This record gives sequence, structure tokens and C-alpha cells, in this order.
Amino acid sequence: MNADSTDTLSSHLDLGDLIAEAAGQPIGDRARVHLASCEHCQLEASRWNLVADGIRDLAAAAPEVAQPARPRRTGRLVPAGTWRRALLVVGSAAAALVLLAGVGVVTGVVHVHFGNNGTETALTAVTGCAQLQRADGTLEQVNGSSVVIKTASGQPVTVTTTATTKVTASGALLGDITDGAAVLVAGTGSDRTITADLVFVNGPASLNIPGTVTVRGTASDVTTAGFTVITSDGTRVRATTSGGTSVTVFHASLGQLQAGGSTVVIGRPGPDGTLSALGVVQPPTWPGGAHTSVSMRNCSPASINQAIMALGAG
Amino acid sequence: MNDPCRDVGATTFTASHDPACGDAELLRRIGQADEDAMAAFYREHGRVVFAQVLLVAGERVLAEEIVQDTMLAVWRGAGSFRGESSVGSWVIAIARRQTRDRLRVRRLRVVDDAFLADQPGSGPGPEVMALDRAELAEVTGAIRELVPAHREVLGLAFGSGLSLPEVADVLEIPVGTVKSRLAAARTALNRILNQKGQNR
Repeated sequence: MNADSTDTLSSHLDLGDLIAEAAGQPIGDRARVHLASCEHCQLEASRWNLVADGIRDLAAAAPEVAQPARPRRTGRLVPAGTWRRALLVVGSAAAALVLLAGVGVVTGVVHVHFGNNGTETALTAVTGCAQLQRADGTLEQVNGSSVVIKTASGQPVTVTTTATTKVTASGALLGDITDGAAVLVAGTGSDRTITADLVFVNGPASLNIPGTVTVRGTASDVTTAGFTVITSDGTRVRATTSGGTSVTVFHASLGQLQAGGSTVVIGRPGPDGTLSALGVVQPPTWPGGAHTSVSMRNCSPASINQAIMALGAG
Repeated sequence: MNDPCRDVGATTFTASHDPACGDAELLRRIGQADEDAMAAFYREHGRVVFAQVLLVAGERVLAEEIVQDTMLAVWRGAGSFRGESSVGSWVIAIARRQTRDRLRVRRLRVVDDAFLADQPGSGPGPEVMALDRAELAEVTGAIRELVPAHREVLGLAFGSGLSLPEVADVLEIPVGTVKSRLAAARTALNRILNQKGQNR
């Protein structure tokens, strides 16, 4: 925080802090404390986070680098085999790292492990940031900006949210697939038709689920039986849905959270045993379960939020 | 030769990062013509570099060629890396020069629009509200419509893992100018979103 002439309001976070926050880089304790209590700065941070999310979305949507033609220049020092192998490695790694593209390729400070325990996915660990706590259980109720979840031991936990809390809802949300929505569909089928097992709305740019077909684009011609996905190159893929289709909505409202749904909260401990949420996630049900491990650069809210977004995708 | 930097046991959504496979060590090995190190370097940086180049160049084929030229430059110049900057900002800076040269040949303005890109915006106002109500997909679309200098600075700040001083080094401008350009980029983004909103 300073009075840099570039910054709009010297009494609030300076632009450097806001950029660092959105970029997932560390900010000072004083700035973090200010951010936690300043609605103006939270709004500014939210705007920059959206811009940063847009950049990360574009990066994640970048096509995998195809194997290049044999080098054009004479006297090239790099054998073609190395290039071919390097690009293939990048290509194969890209799918696995696609979520991390949104998170950033990082050295580990925070480790969030999201595993499959029996039939339900559950957050099993958040380590590396002492100020963070997590709670997971089933959603009991939503009271205004607060959420109550019941843990496996039956203990109710009151979770408070703010405008910057990332909310991801999953469940029977077919009604939230509307014309024009950005969707990613995973299921079985062919190039032109797909039976949707999972639909992500406003979610990840791409995804790799072994044994499934995925298609990304804009929803159109939405009916109760399905919708058409129009991809960036204009290809139209018909997605059929059913009662078994799981829909996950990113950037959701609290009202879209499903009562009784498995819910994960990551946040900071608040007064009276409450949890001030950075993220409230109802994860999708993965075919065959999920196993996610996300390493973060630091413990900033932006970094954690990015991890939460990744968790929302599985 | 086994690649010691290759992820081991990685599951679908798992990635590992081995500190022993640090960038500097990779560059040292590349300088000794270690092809596996080059492959590992590409795996570590290729996607980020490609995304940044694609963001600025806007064409996939061109971006692929630029990344290929960038990695060639890394192969040839690894021995000259002096450690005065992070490897990430070093390779991004190489990619930026390659992009600039390619686009200059095509007579496209990338650097020349920097002056306009740094002009201050109109500040908070109705345009800010456009960003407040925008969905991610709308923002993504609007970013594509920004001038290259704005796409570039946003990509460097949010997509490349660079700090503001590193962004300043890559762009060869002061940190304060980076901030000005970022602020101008966001104002331009707001304006595009606002216009799109009015046209709906």
C-alpha cells in the first residue's frame, strides 16, 4: 500500500498489490489485512481477478502445440527427434496440466488434495498455509450470505461469504444451461453427438477425463432433452442430457448450491467458530472418482481461489 | 538418457515439480547440448510461451513458428544466460523479440501502439460497471479485441507468472509504466464490454 501516482486511491491497496493479488503473487500482511476488511478493495480485486481469469482462460484454451515441420534452417543444432519428442511431451502433458494452466505452473507451498473416498469425492487435505482451514460435509441451508454445512461428525459449521468468494455449484442444474452459456461437455459419443455425463458452465477451458469425449463451446438450442454446442470453429455438436447428467456451474450464486449436496469450503477462521470462505465448492461427481493434487505458488487469496476453481473441475 | 524432470506417477490431474530440475540447471545442460534437458525445458516453458505468443500474434501457425524460433534461440543461447533475470522472464523476452520481428516483417504494429496503450483511461465510471456484470466468457472475448500492447501486458502480468518488475524488464519499460499500461488495458477492456452490452 502506498501513494503511487498511478494508483487511483492511495488510502487503499495500490495497483501493484491488486495486480499481485490477481496474479497469485504474495502481498504484504498489511495489504492482506486491509483487503479483508475493505469492500472497495475487494471489488477492485474482484475486477482484476476477472481480468486475470480471462487471460488464464485464453491460455488454457490455447490449442496444444502441434508437431512442427522439420526445421527450416540449415545448420540447425537441434535434431528433429528432440523437437518431435519435446512437442509430444508438451502435447501429452498439456491435458494433464490444463487445470494447472489456470493455476499456474508453480512450486509447491500450498497443496490441496482432492480424492475419492468410496463413492463421494472429498477434500482430504489443505496443507502449507497455516491460516487456512477447510470444512467439508453436506449443505444444510443458505441464510443470506451465510451457508451452514454439516460435517461427517454431524457438527454444523457456519460459513460466511463475501462478494469475492468463489462459488461452484453442482447437481441437477440442467436449468442453468441457457442459450449463449459457455459450456464444456464430457460424455460419450462421436464428433457430432455426445451423451453428456458432465456439463461445466462458465468453467474450465478444457479437460481430460480418460475414456470420455469432451467438447467446448457455446450452448444453443437448449431443450429439456439437451442442447447444441457450437465450437469456436463453428462445429455443431448435439449434447443429450438426462436426469443423470451432472451440471457444474462456476461463478455460481449461493442460491444455486444444492441442499444436501457434498460441499467443500476453504477459508480462514472467523469469530465464533465461523469460517470466512474463500471458496465454496460443490464438486461434480466424477465417473470412476477423481484424484487431484494442486500445487500453488503462495498462500494469497488469489492463488487459493485459483486452486478452488481447479477443485471445482474435479 | 532418462529425463530426471519427467513427472513420475502423475495421475490425470496431478503435476509434480522437482526442485532438482531447476531452470538454471536445465539451461546449463542445454548449454552442453543435452537434448533431454531441452525437452524438459520445453515441457516447463513451452505452453506458457506459446500462450503468450498466441495472445499477441493472434495466429496459431505464426505462434508455433515463433515458439519454435524461440526454443532454437534458447538452444543456441543457453550458455549465455547470466542469471540476471529469472529463466521465465528470459525466455519470454526472447519470445517477445521473435514476435516483434515477425510482426514487423508483416508490418503489423505491436510495439508502436505502446504509446497509445499507455494513455490513461477515463477512470472508474459506467465502464467499470460493465466489468462488474461481465461473465468470464465475455471478458475472454473482449481481451481478444484489445490492441496487441494491451493483450501483451495483461498476458505477461497474469498468464506468464512474472512479477511486475519482471514484466517491466521484458517490456523494457519502468514498473510505473507497466502499471499505467495495465490500468489503460483494463479501461479499454471495460469500454469494449460496455459497447458489447449496449449492442445487446
